[in-house]
Amino acid sequence: MNRVTPKPLPEGELPPLRQVGRPLRRVDALGKAIGATAYAADFTMPNMLHAKVLRSPIPSARIRRLDVSKARALPGVACVLTGADLPDAKLATDMPGQTGRSQRAGSDAPVLATDVVRFHGEPLALVAAESVTLAERALAKIELELDPLPGVFDPHEAMKPDAPHVYGEDNVIARWQIRKGDLEKGMAEADLVVENTFRMPFVEHAYLEPEAGVAWVDEQDVINIRVCTQVVEHFRSVAKALGIPQNRVRIRGTMVGGGFGSKEDVTVEIFLALLARETGRPVKLVYTREESFLASAKRHPFTITHRTGVKKNGRITAAHITMVADAGAYPYLTPYVLLYATGMAAGPYKVDHLHVDSVAAATHQPFTSAFRGFGGPQAALGYEQQMDEIAGALGMDPLMLRRANYLRTGDTTGTGQEIRSAVWLEECLTRAIAALGERTPDSPTRRIGRGCASTFQSYGRITWFHDTSRAWVGVEQDGTVVIRCGVPDIGAGQSNSLCQIAAEILGVPLERVTIYATDSAVTPLAGTSTATRQLYMSGNAVSSAASTIRTCLARRAAEEMGVREDEVDLANSRAFVTNDPSQFIELANLVKKCAAEGLPLSHLAQFNAPFTEGIDPETGQGDIWPDFTFGAQAVEIAVDLGTGQIELLKSAACHDVGRAINPAAVRGQIAGGSHQGLGYALMEDYVVKEGITETPSLGEYLIPTSSDFPATEVIVLESGTGIGPFGAKGIGEPALTPAAPAVANAVADALGVRIRELPLTPERVLRALDRTRSVAPRVRRGMYGEKAPD
Amino acid sequence: MKEKSVVLNVNGRPHEIVLAPNVTLLQALRELGYTDVKNGCEKGDCGACAVFLDGTLVNSCLVLAWQADGARILTDSGLGTLEHPHPIQEAFADTGAVQCGFCTPGMILATKALLDRNPDPTEAEIREALSGNLCRCTGYGQIVAAVRLSAERLRKSDRTRGPRGLDQPSEEGKNG
Amino acid sequence: MSLPPFGLLRPTTLLEALEAMAEAPGIVPLAGGTSLLVDLRDRRSEAELLVDLSKLKELQGIETTPNEIVLGATTTIAELLHSPFLRQCVPLLTECCRTFAAPLIRNRATIGGNLAYASPAADCAPSLLALDASVELRSLRDKRLIPLSEFFLGVRRTVVRPGELLTAVVLPRSSAGGRAAYRKLGLRKANAISVGSVAVRVTLDQNNRCNRVRIALGAVAPTPRRAESSESHLVGKRLTETSINEAAHLASRECAPIDDVRGSATYRRRTTETLVRRCLLEIAEISEAE
Repeated sequence: MNRVTPKPLPEGELPPLRQVGRPLRRVDALGKAIGATAYAADFTMPNMLHAKVLRSPIPSARIRRLDVSKARALPGVACVLTGADLPDAKLATDMPGQTGRSQRAGSDAPVLATDVVRFHGEPLALVAAESVTLAERALAKIELELDPLPGVFDPHEAMKPDAPHVYGEDNVIARWQIRKGDLEKGMAEADLVVENTFRMPFVEHAYLEPEAGVAWVDEQDVINIRVCTQVVEHFRSVAKALGIPQNRVRIRGTMVGGGFGSKEDVTVEIFLALLARETGRPVKLVYTREESFLASAKRHPFTITHRTGVKKNGRITAAHITMVADAGAYPYLTPYVLLYATGMAAGPYKVDHLHVDSVAAATHQPFTSAFRGFGGPQAALGYEQQMDEIAGALGMDPLMLRRANYLRTGDTTGTGQEIRSAVWLEECLTRAIAALGERTPDSPTRRIGRGCASTFQSYGRITWFHDTSRAWVGVEQDGTVVIRCGVPDIGAGQSNSLCQIAAEILGVPLERVTIYATDSAVTPLAGTSTATRQLYMSGNAVSSAASTIRTCLARRAAEEMGVREDEVDLANSRAFVTNDPSQFIELANLVKKCAAEGLPLSHLAQFNAPFTEGIDPETGQGDIWPDFTFGAQAVEIAVDLGTGQIELLKSAACHDVGRAINPAAVRGQIAGGSHQGLGYALMEDYVVKEGITETPSLGEYLIPTSSDFPATEVIVLESGTGIGPFGAKGIGEPALTPAAPAVANAVADALGVRIRELPLTPERVLRALDRTRSVAPRVRRGMYGEKAPD
Repeated sequence: MKEKSVVLNVNGRPHEIVLAPNVTLLQALRELGYTDVKNGCEKGDCGACAVFLDGTLVNSCLVLAWQADGARILTDSGLGTLEHPHPIQEAFADTGAVQCGFCTPGMILATKALLDRNPDPTEAEIREALSGNLCRCTGYGQIVAAVRLSAERLRKSDRTRGPRGLDQPSEEGKNG
Repeated sequence: MSLPPFGLLRPTTLLEALEAMAEAPGIVPLAGGTSLLVDLRDRRSEAELLVDLSKLKELQGIETTPNEIVLGATTTIAELLHSPFLRQCVPLLTECCRTFAAPLIRNRATIGGNLAYASPAADCAPSLLALDASVELRSLRDKRLIPLSEFFLGVRRTVVRPGELLTAVVLPRSSAGGRAAYRKLGLRKANAISVGSVAVRVTLDQNNRCNRVRIALGAVAPTPRRAESSESHLVGKRLTETSINEAAHLASRECAPIDDVRGSATYRRRTTETLVRRCLLEIAEISEAE
């Protein structure tokens, strides 16, 4: 019987709201449901050309010959470009565009490779032709001769002195370290030292929408790019690559059919801009699915070693963690992913004596960059598996072990950052476990396992980026509301949340709010839809702008009705006296009055995240993020002892989201994020052999179908302590982080041995089962107060 | 390759187009402006391109336009409009089953294919019916809820196809 | 990615189709397109002329004669799956159709196409082998009936001659007898290429001894095949845990699997043994112990 009693939630009710907190139908939902919403590949322009990209078939080579003359000569081909035509064009893989900070030196990739090829699929040439078929034919006419060079396909190998050269001076792309406390002293205090190494593979984002866009030069000589992107500010990267002023590039972002971090990098934008400029005509580029696999970033493979000193009572005394990440062929966002992993390496636990050493090295493999969690999921796979291993070594209940070490509000993380918001780790974990209900009994052919994970994940960007966001809110003469905001909507309801916030503050139904978004020319720049920052940043900007207007409206209404400003409330498109709603003014009339009197009815607000100046390079101490979201996942699995197949029987996730602006969207994020984590753990096998991607299709790289997993039960807690609007925290990335480690722990629970790599394919499980037959059976402890099963 | 004229009846509208044999139905439909039919993989792996072809749900990327000559084709945009959405479209919008929306047209048609032959499906039947349509955003839970809600609303209204004018969405549904 | 250029003939009768095939040596039949169109797109196939079979009524549907069940070659997997008649007579085939790909694919893929394509993992093959199926091959001048066990020659190779079309799959009435079981192992629950699939059919005499045994394996050899030594091991014996374990082991020895992205040869051999054992246990109604 499961005797876990969820810890009661601290007292304190959140103030009641009218629009925020309700699972209203999202403003974008019906348009998408009836098939009316246009995505990037759905646009056409008159006189449009079609583009194709020639990509390298091998991962490491010298380009001996790249002759495009026959392709250029083909009738119907308007333009062929190679790296030789673009001597100054570089792709900034860093993210300078968003914050104006200078780009890290040595983080460029060529727009089109010139001397050497560094990865399978690297772009070599661009073609624009009258039709897709002609463009394909032109590609086939390009004469390419590559001399294979020795390749290196493992970051450990890449750091050896005689390793083949990939990038930079020594293939090392980034290092971070933490030196906190006195490691030797801490280890000496320990009763036991537990050491384990865990490995995580490449993962593919596999959004349903392949990358696409259309670009054209308009009558003001501005290059317009309609594109699915998580970053409107890429116009700066495009301008730089083309050597033109920043105000001559316009990004018109579309509704994105899934991004998860891979559309955070520049994808098709520069290619399109180059071709549009060169041909003077609109150009369209749509990636095939295989191309999307090869052309886009992957999640970083990591090897993480934990050496942890613990006392018999479970208190961690010291930890030394080393991390090696595979940066792939180019830097992209590797240094920051490594930073996240480093900063979160020890998990949401109090570790007074902590050393972390992290390094990322380049290899001739797919380049790695942002993927939902950004190093956090890999860190969690390290620390949560290590926690279960420690519990096993101590003979201790894994929940008790975690309880003994959880961070609390006011504590500091591994980098010495103080946590100010609620830390509901135990509340989340106990609820997730309780939701699993009675343990399913073993059968002769199936062994059951249960596992959980307690995790944390930041929301908001690295604070030394000095992140800002802007939104404009205005009220129309008929009382409807307009929001203009550069926010890219990548499917999580980014734009809807802003509407719901404005609706709440201005007292109008959600249907009366329209948002115009994602156009760098006409919507105030709101920064990237990444790092779980949009609700926090743009939500606060909208909240601020709407509040400013509300104050003006309330003041004018109060005057009109002869009451104090604080006696006026706005709801249902009216301004009314709180204690006597029969006294009211229709919002439309109030607005008209204000307009006639020259009172401001719109406001552009900027929200600034906390600004810091970076962590100490020696000690790694300092603030990195604005705040964290804490959560947990618990799963029950069954292992088929004959085939090694794993069936997920039950899954439950619980997160403290601060405040759920739209609970349906929050639940959708938790369900969807954890689903991606389940796939990460159980079936997503991105196979790269000698640098060649062997699984470049959705038939070979398997993501879960509707038949594979039962629904994850989602439990949403609201502490109200987030620094987003109405006390919200972020949930996009945190939703994914605990899922894979929960599964890994469940499988280890079932097998009695741990498989130290992902995915947990049937074949790996069967091999592990073989190992258990040849070792003494481990005592299978029950979880969380349960009696150990036989 | 000789081009031929084929007639595609899409959402009740006949289109006569001249094209080569190697054009897929997916390409032809998108050329005709039916961009609600999405290209997610062009190999039959993802279901984003699903359409009804003479009443049977198929991956349009795996049908040649010539093979669909004279056929009746139904796409998601043919089921309803903003003013008069189909109950399935509304249910998807109401349950949070639409996140990025790219899989949604195919999912909605797969839902229709299921409910047309099985008006009261179990969860297992729902999941099985949708198993050829990949979604990367939702984890399928809210989609299953949308199918259930669709089934319930269709049973109440006894309406099975085409846009309607008379029934209004319930207040409760609209606000989630 | 565009399909390469090709010609497409659209005959309205089987005779027209066979005439076209007689005339053009390299012509390739197109039915559901779920394999061929993907191959064309990926440039694994270089076919320049296709003949569309999807409208030929003569190739569609399920018919019965006194001695046979005849499945038209372009009957879709979905039609087979939803046939109450087949579910009653040959539930083994229904079960194999249930795990075939996913609903959208089943609505187009055909039984004839699945066999003619001759992938080592052809989903329909093991159950049809276990049902003693034959395939009808027709050309303009000729018609022959080939036992399915003699149909596959190698990876993507069959006995089909130029000008010949697979027009029907024929099951003897006897295939409706005996007890059958099917297991498919894929890396996910839908739309997964087989890592191993097994179809078993056994008829018992009045002493509960095995009379006729069919154990068919998929995805573990260049062709779908019957595990004949395993079959003959069981003939004349009762199904007990011992005889079942022995038969399963023999079946795994008859695999010739390869390593690929979905699994290693070793794993495939082991799981084939497990799948055969489980099918036999199910037929014998013995619960599986660890």
